[in-house]
Amino acid sequence: MKKSSVIKNILLTALVLTCAFGTAILMQNVFGVKQIVAAVFVFAVFIVSFITDKYVYGIVSAFVSVLAVNWAFTFPYFAFSFGMTENIVSAVVMIIIALFTSMLVTKVKYTEDLKRENEKERMRANLLRAVSHDLRTPLTTIYGATSMLLDSGDAIDKEKQIEILKGIKEDADWLNRIVENLLSVTRISEGKVKIIKTPTVLDELVDSVIVRFKKRYPHVNITVQIPDEIVVIPMDALLISQVLVNILENAVHHAKGMTELRFCVEVDENKAYFSIIDNGCGIEKDRLLNLFDGYGGEKDNSNDNRKRNAGIGLSVCASIIKAHGGFICAENQREGGAKFTFDLEREKGQYE
Amino acid sequence: MNNKYKILVVEDEKNIQTLVSALLETEGYSVISAYNLAEADMLFVSHRPDLIILDLGMPDGDGIVFLKKLRKTTAVPLIVLSARNSESDKVDALDAGANDYVTKPFSSAEFLARIRSALRSVRLSETGRLPHATFNVDDLKIDYESRRIFIANAEIRLTQTEYNIVAFLAQNAGKMMTYQGIIKAIWGYPDGGGIKKLQVNMANIRKKFGIKPGEESYIVNELGVGYRMKGLEE
Repeated sequence: MKKSSVIKNILLTALVLTCAFGTAILMQNVFGVKQIVAAVFVFAVFIVSFITDKYVYGIVSAFVSVLAVNWAFTFPYFAFSFGMTENIVSAVVMIIIALFTSMLVTKVKYTEDLKRENEKERMRANLLRAVSHDLRTPLTTIYGATSMLLDSGDAIDKEKQIEILKGIKEDADWLNRIVENLLSVTRISEGKVKIIKTPTVLDELVDSVIVRFKKRYPHVNITVQIPDEIVVIPMDALLISQVLVNILENAVHHAKGMTELRFCVEVDENKAYFSIIDNGCGIEKDRLLNLFDGYGGEKDNSNDNRKRNAGIGLSVCASIIKAHGGFICAENQREGGAKFTFDLEREKGQYE
Repeated sequence: MNNKYKILVVEDEKNIQTLVSALLETEGYSVISAYNLAEADMLFVSHRPDLIILDLGMPDGDGIVFLKKLRKTTAVPLIVLSARNSESDKVDALDAGANDYVTKPFSSAEFLARIRSALRSVRLSETGRLPHATFNVDDLKIDYESRRIFIANAEIRLTQTEYNIVAFLAQNAGKMMTYQGIIKAIWGYPDGGGIKKLQVNMANIRKKFGIKPGEESYIVNELGVGYRMKGLEE
């Protein structure tokens, strides 16, 4: 990996310098413009600094350029001569210009990297803040409810006790889901460059997700529509399962009045299109805008803290789909209810 | 009282140990608790339990090492109970010889079903499966001798490979088989592209069984890990 990038940089440098040399010869011999030869090389050094990763390439090309100009384009032609004051001065000026350009370009690149890194850091901090808040809410219930049962369990009637226990279970479930999402996030940032994709048969993905979903929500009426043909999609199956479960659970928790949940996959030659459609209350317009960026619930002023979790779950979905090179979006349907869609590249070929 | 199944629970977390023991005892199993691997080793030798529940992260070592050592001498059913939930952790444990893998947090009903299933797999091998025997779970019936499969008495026509996969899972009913384990058994060699081939076969088997993705099936699909034929008592 590292070796090949060095070779690539060297090749790029050589290519640019050769082009510059060619152009300079053309300028001098065909068009007779001698004055801009140095400029051509300075420009070449600039390009080299810009397209290579380290500034050693820029500096090396500056030196090469000085030698080339001295050798081929200043009197005496096709011979090195550092004796003439004129040549020495022009050589020094050129190296200085080249050095400065190259340092400047490197610095710009560095600042850009830093900016991007900061942005990432900020997102992570935001997520962390949102998560710690969301962890505390269910923990409060669990802690409070269990201490109450321990301290004065006998005084509470059986029915009430069961209700409290159910609340504890629900909140524990909720905590577990937050943790699952956090694990997915670390899985993405650990594999920094790229996630590892394995060719996965669509039927198998859908089967495992829907079975898991039905186990958690046996009362939800969900219909599944997928193509008859065998479709293979390269993906990190665990992460994509997480996306599907998040969107489905999001519908269960937020689509008020939902009676039907539909899960469809359609395919064309290149892609598979996933959609999850409910017939609930839809998504408020001002939330729709930043649904996927992690603060989906921030503006929400109702005292139902749960709503905030939708933001985290969906922002995890967005980063997972983005890491797969796909696109996710949410919209309200004309006939009511929300529709979430995303696409994934499919593998080409026939499977028997 | 004597024919109670004895279960060794290897878990260092006291709260989970208490929870699991209470759960198992209410189900009528007798429980032996070990809080570290050394203790587990000792208790296994002296009590010869019928099943082991093993947590992987133990204070005196990795559960996988314990499992590998154990498998050199005994085939006692073992279920891993761990908070590690990546596919590779599951595959490693299953390939090392675990019968099943349950992640924390777990639902008690599911956990007990897996235990029953694992215990049943031993009973099958203890009674000594005859080569002519048939396999039955719910309304699925496999006739090993004639290599035919029936669902609710209607014959299902499978290809050779599909039949081999179903039969292999049935012979290991109750045990989670990893992709590589199945591929090696069916095609005879471990093969990188084989997982896709296996998944395609499984999707076709499910279609021929008339089961839509997401519907309860005889074969449990653990995506990224493997497949498990349900045992009788699930």
